[in-house]
Amino acid sequence: MKRLYLFIIIFMTFKIGATASNADSALVEHTSIDQLTMLEAMRNPALHGSGYRTPFSQLSLGIDLLRQSQAFVLEKGTGYTLPYIKVDTYHHLNDRSAVWGSASYMTGKQHNVKWNSTSDYDLLEPYVLADTAGGDTHRERYAISGGYATHIARWQLGAEMLVRAEQEYRDRDPRMRGIVTDLTMRLGGGYDCGNYRLGAAVEANIYKQTNSVAFYREEGVIPEYQMTGLGTEYSRFSGDKRSLYYDGGGLALLLHLSPADHNGIYGDISLDEHRYHRKLAEFNSMPLTDLYDEHVGGTIGWKRQTASNRKMASWAHVDYTRRTGNEHVGGTSDARYFPVIACLTMYKQHLFDAHTGFLYGKGKWSAMLKAGYRSSNEKYVYPRRQMDFSHVYGGLLGQCFLRPSGKLLLTMDAHASLYFKTDDKLSLPVANMSTPFIQLMQHKHEYASANYTDLGAKVRADLAWKQSRYGLFAEAGCSVTLCSTREHATLIHGSVGITF
Amino acid sequence: MKHHILYFTLIVLVLTAAACAPVEDDIFTTARVTVAAGDETVITRVQAQAKLTNVNTRQVLSSADFEGPSVTVELLRGAYQINIEGVVTCQQADGQTRMRQFRCQSDYAEFVRDGVNDITLNIIFLD
Repeated sequence: MKRLYLFIIIFMTFKIGATASNADSALVEHTSIDQLTMLEAMRNPALHGSGYRTPFSQLSLGIDLLRQSQAFVLEKGTGYTLPYIKVDTYHHLNDRSAVWGSASYMTGKQHNVKWNSTSDYDLLEPYVLADTAGGDTHRERYAISGGYATHIARWQLGAEMLVRAEQEYRDRDPRMRGIVTDLTMRLGGGYDCGNYRLGAAVEANIYKQTNSVAFYREEGVIPEYQMTGLGTEYSRFSGDKRSLYYDGGGLALLLHLSPADHNGIYGDISLDEHRYHRKLAEFNSMPLTDLYDEHVGGTIGWKRQTASNRKMASWAHVDYTRRTGNEHVGGTSDARYFPVIACLTMYKQHLFDAHTGFLYGKGKWSAMLKAGYRSSNEKYVYPRRQMDFSHVYGGLLGQCFLRPSGKLLLTMDAHASLYFKTDDKLSLPVANMSTPFIQLMQHKHEYASANYTDLGAKVRADLAWKQSRYGLFAEAGCSVTLCSTREHATLIHGSVGITF
Repeated sequence: MKHHILYFTLIVLVLTAAACAPVEDDIFTTARVTVAAGDETVITRVQAQAKLTNVNTRQVLSSADFEGPSVTVELLRGAYQINIEGVVTCQQADGQTRMRQFRCQSDYAEFVRDGVNDITLNIIFLD
């Protein structure tokens, strides 16, 4: 399988590279922070196809390192070391059609993961398998994606597919293993209506994960908990039930409006619904829990681009996510078959995020200012547990393109952001909880409701040869996150590669 | 164009409705546990502790609030183990009223229906 993906990477590198062009304008267009205002629109493949004027391809070899002095989220560990190889390409086939794609392979380590023996924690939490021991895990990920878009008269049509295959495992007890397959397909359309472009797209996702934990040393066996939210566990199926799988997927609807000439009002609305069912493999696929993730997001903004390459944009964005967890109540067993006698909604989380932003760019530099508010309200219904927190935040992002010599182009990015706690609450039935679970929840609350300061910078140097479509690049970046708990995190990124 | 917008809005509404998570907020129900000692013995009063252990969560509910031979408990829907121990005052077939120690238990009882879920347990006298 590895060979197949590497073949795809090499094939794409040379096949697309042979017809691509290399220009500074392409690099600026594809890496500029101006593109951040178009991220949601780019989920519609029809609009992605007309999103860039210039072709751009890049093969990169890089590494991401994260080190935290104390795990901010225990379930995600104290950091990672993740080298990768990746190729991205965007190419116009002719005046009407465009193709794009990417292929990547990543392998590395996640350090000191605790209270989590399941992959994709962000997606599946709180319904994960967990233990108190944890340890480092090895990660390996293959990802490929590809899309095609064309336009016929005033209509644009596009399709895109993204595939991710990932495995995470530990080679010491407790030996967790999670094998993930994640497939996303998008179909989109756009229509030019006067000076405006209307877009609509649907997205479908299929998600699978098989997850298990094994112990090779019998005397070292510890219980694996089927976590059910805010420090609760499904006691009946915790302990020695260590083989399960997740079956999920979802749908999304994306609507978009933008001015065709980059001058005017723009906006988008997205509706997403994903559901993940956790099932016990060793008990005839008995359903344990269902997680429903419903999201609605909207942006309304205004942008302007002048002939002298002065850019301005201002926008307001709102996200609301409701996460609901249902627990299946197992009846009496019959030959390892448990009938489900009831289904109860026990876990609820409401996430809200609203921010307003302003972007200004002139020539080779751009700056973005953002200020917002976010909150999380999490509840386990019975016995009642609650954890709430909210932050106000602000951030400044700057980018500058410099050309010290004819062959060299420097791209410099810097950012600073601040998250300040406005409210927090933790309510637990401590008398009925064991000490490890109390410590888990206290840690979770302490870091979720802390103040954060994030500072970072990144430099990228692109070296181009005259009369050649190929170029070399090197990129290095570092960011430091300071937490009010007197802990910190350092993220280092480095990559080298070729552009074509 | 108006028709297109209308159809599109309709599709959005149908998709939104179909995508809503099934929420079951009615998580509690009522269990009424009655102790019985056979046809020839009438139970007049029970002084006992009823323990109901949720099979899935291992949460334990206790109640000593007997009314006649029954105790009523508000609990989470689910499967329970029931254990009752205490003293019962009963009128026997010969007309005598006696106070006797008893115990009764059930390894599995489902309390998932709306309204009152009834279960009757037979007493084992310990004296």
